[in-house]
Amino acid sequence: MNTKLSPRTQVALYGLLCLLLFPFIFPTWWMITSSIKPISQIFAFPPELFPSRVDFSSYTTAFEFQPFARQYFNSVYISVVVTVLTMLICSLAGYAFARIKFPGANIMFMVVLMGLLVPSEVTLIPLFQMFRAWGLSNTHWPLLLIQTIGASSVFATFIMRQFFITLPLELEEAARIDGLSRLKIFWTIALPLSRPALAAVAIFTFLHSWNSFLEPLVFISSRELFTLPVALVNFTDAYGGEMWNVQLAASTMSAIPVLVVFVIAQRHFIEGLAHTGLKG
Amino acid sequence: MASAKPTTGMEGARKRPFWTIQRKDHVTGLIFVAPQFIGIITFVFVPLILVFYYSMHEWNVLAGTFTFVGSENYEELFRDRAMPGVLAATAIFSLGLVVLNISLALLLAVLVNQKLTGMSVFRTLFFSPVVVSVVAWAIVWRFLLQSNGGINGLLYMVGIEGPNWLRLPHTAMISLIVVQTFKSVGLNMVLFLAALQGVPRELHEAARVDGVPPFKQFYRITLPLISPTLMLVSIVTIVGALQVFGQIEVLTQGGPGTSTTVLVYYFYQQAFQFLNFGYGSTLSIILLGIVALLTYAQWQLRRKVVFYEH
Amino acid sequence: MKLFKKSGLAAALYASAALISMNAAMAQDQINLRMLIWSANEDHLRLFNEIADAYKAQNPQVSVTYEAVPYGEFPTTLTTQIAGGNAPDLTWLTETGSFDFIAAGAMFPLTETFRTTEGYELEDYAQASIDSWSQDGELYFYPFSTSPFAVFVNNDLVREAKQKTPAELVAEGTWDWEQAVEIGAAVNAETGKHGIIFRDFDYTGWTRLAPLYTGWDVKLWSEDGKTCMMNAPEMVDAMSFLHDAIFEKKAMPGPGIAADFFAGDAAMTITQISRANLLPTGDDAFEWDLVPLPAGPIGDYGYVGAAGIGVLKASPHAQEAADFLAFFSNKENVTKLARYFPPTRSSVLTPEVLAASNPLLSVEQLTDVVIKGVVEGRSAAGHTNYEQIVQNVRASLDSLWVPDADVAQVLQATCDNLNPLLQR
Repeated sequence: MNTKLSPRTQVALYGLLCLLLFPFIFPTWWMITSSIKPISQIFAFPPELFPSRVDFSSYTTAFEFQPFARQYFNSVYISVVVTVLTMLICSLAGYAFARIKFPGANIMFMVVLMGLLVPSEVTLIPLFQMFRAWGLSNTHWPLLLIQTIGASSVFATFIMRQFFITLPLELEEAARIDGLSRLKIFWTIALPLSRPALAAVAIFTFLHSWNSFLEPLVFISSRELFTLPVALVNFTDAYGGEMWNVQLAASTMSAIPVLVVFVIAQRHFIEGLAHTGLKG
Repeated sequence: MASAKPTTGMEGARKRPFWTIQRKDHVTGLIFVAPQFIGIITFVFVPLILVFYYSMHEWNVLAGTFTFVGSENYEELFRDRAMPGVLAATAIFSLGLVVLNISLALLLAVLVNQKLTGMSVFRTLFFSPVVVSVVAWAIVWRFLLQSNGGINGLLYMVGIEGPNWLRLPHTAMISLIVVQTFKSVGLNMVLFLAALQGVPRELHEAARVDGVPPFKQFYRITLPLISPTLMLVSIVTIVGALQVFGQIEVLTQGGPGTSTTVLVYYFYQQAFQFLNFGYGSTLSIILLGIVALLTYAQWQLRRKVVFYEH
Repeated sequence: MKLFKKSGLAAALYASAALISMNAAMAQDQINLRMLIWSANEDHLRLFNEIADAYKAQNPQVSVTYEAVPYGEFPTTLTTQIAGGNAPDLTWLTETGSFDFIAAGAMFPLTETFRTTEGYELEDYAQASIDSWSQDGELYFYPFSTSPFAVFVNNDLVREAKQKTPAELVAEGTWDWEQAVEIGAAVNAETGKHGIIFRDFDYTGWTRLAPLYTGWDVKLWSEDGKTCMMNAPEMVDAMSFLHDAIFEKKAMPGPGIAADFFAGDAAMTITQISRANLLPTGDDAFEWDLVPLPAGPIGDYGYVGAAGIGVLKASPHAQEAADFLAFFSNKENVTKLARYFPPTRSSVLTPEVLAASNPLLSVEQLTDVVIKGVVEGRSAAGHTNYEQIVQNVRASLDSLWVPDADVAQVLQATCDNLNPLLQR
């Protein structure tokens, strides 16, 4: 791309970028400032960009109204467990598909790839029935199992396989001649080299699990077991009326930590994504 | 792969080991893929078969009845007065989202790719909504789009009277598309950014020297070279668009009227609000069919549209 | 030595076996009942747990827990629990939500249990309330809460608009919907605040308009439930009146405007009296009043939102659950519950009892609004597939909430869309 841009173009560029930035950051700003406004000020017209009166009660109400801390924890631990397990299982599978010739490998890979085609909604009703039959309704098991080895994990396997194919064969050949087992080769050579791809897998998997709304909504009916997205829509009073300030406080609490982590680790995030090999 | 079976010609003299390296390798391979494979069979294939099975039954959950009705659910689908509207809403939403999302992502990627200071800050900020919870994002936007909410407040300050965004059919659909776009465009932007950075600079230099204007450079050089990414991102985005649920549940609940009731939302209503599991299964099959069709169509288009260097 | 050891060992074995089997027997008798509720209010839960503990004192093997689930999707959540093999033993339901469950035969009959429980006095209940929770003479839900709708008034705003307060109009005997709309319009014109808010209506929850259209004697569907009657003159009149009030007179906030009476945004709100706890105090307080619903073309009338508690047949301990319910709803406990949940037991429905639990309301308000409302109020008609019907009508009615809507036409289209569903 051009390296020299005239000052006028540069200013125009910055201006355009700032304008475009607006819908990306205004909502977050509004969410934070409104969550600390007293409820009567939330819909003040004309609206206040900065709260004139500050009222933190909505934050405490969020915790009193629902077991919010527990729900937060639910989302975190489920996303973490799913991410770690997916990284393990899908890198193993990806490595095997990339490097090991075993009977049925091609067919099995085709079968696994089919998972990419099937939207999760399509299998929701049967999965609901299956988990009911196993006595696991209203537990976290459906979420953990489906997210780790169900349709959504296929993408991870695919990324890992694509990556492992690009690894130079000589490294592994040398190790095999030395008598190392596959597992050792995988664990000590292939996996450490696959950091960028693993990072991408970790990010995608974590975000997918963190954001998932429909599955927890369907499988879980007890408040203490809710995940964050489901909890957020349940801040309604006894008759279904909106509790705006509490909803916004809860949303702020769920968004800010993730944003902070993201800002700190953003280089890894974005570089990991660029390495997904999606370039084709 | 070299087989390590010893061939001394003296096989008859000693027992051939059962666990040859090759065999061990086979077993290892199977073990490595087993969890993923079993997972797909159990949680994708078996349910897929079950969905077909369920779609041919009338199922009353409360009364506990489950009766075979053959293709009756499918016939009801054809007679369902709501279906044309649902399909139309789905098409409008998906297409609108794909067009807006991809063009915006491309624009942002091009802008952020410029060699200016602070670009990584912009990149981060554009990406930030991707990591926020879907529901949190939708709640804030619902709050902003109220008739007396933040968006109309801002418009008021420049003298415009904003419409009742979520209560009028057209503006509701536009709002949904816009909200979903801003949530996810950052991801596509990053992918396009990576692709843009893969375009060799020499090509642009050569074109500049030849006096080719920037827009034409973009058209003739950049676009073709990033077409594989464009193709893949389009597929992923449109399949994703067909599955958007959270935003709709929070912002419009399928309304006003049924103008934003897309297929996946209609499915949720039928299956999990009204507990028509039989009919819901039928709708799932339709959703699957549409996804399969689109993916296939785009894959076929790949030949024509995607440009390969070799 | 060996013999001693053997006998000692044997004795120990027998003893422990006996202990284990006794524990097992007791454990087998241990019954855990779960009641699904929609209130997460701490005070309510404390009271429920008190009742559960009192029952346990008399019946040590029975424990009761309460699970709170959001109100908005209560019937759906309950049905999902049942579908997921996770059915509760007892459940709350509204009068409209209960219909599906009774019709599907999912509820355990209660009449026998209530009749045979000592000192229960089933006749103490207002007959109308028993009838509305029965089918074919069998009672399936105990009338747990019959909460009348009333009008909360912000007298500060009314006076600011130089209007007579509703209380004055009630005294004069001229308190009707026309007057209410007049006041609302005046408040909006004079102060810029809103007039009347139907709480939780928000242009989507159309069933919250029932306190209004009941005054026009509207029937949503025919007796047999097969024909939509929303296109009948009564409903057309009622909705035209409403449409006019919103768009012409501006007596109500329009669609998409979020406003809350209890935040001081409006002159009046139509809601259940239990919302009195939302009235603000301190700096944000205003002079408030509680009056009955305005009169409609049919004259004075009341409207109640009723909730009942029933036992699910799917429960493995249905009879034990019914026994607990009989205890829960006996005179003594209902008196305690009356603090939050207006009862239909005539012996309990007195101003003295209610006053103890509703300190915010005066005796007159309690008598004229609450008691009268409970006893005389009409309630909503149920139907099978209620959720789907509500959703279906809601989608059709969306066309009504625009300034130039043709009311009769929209209602006709509503019926056209609804009839196929009713006739299933």
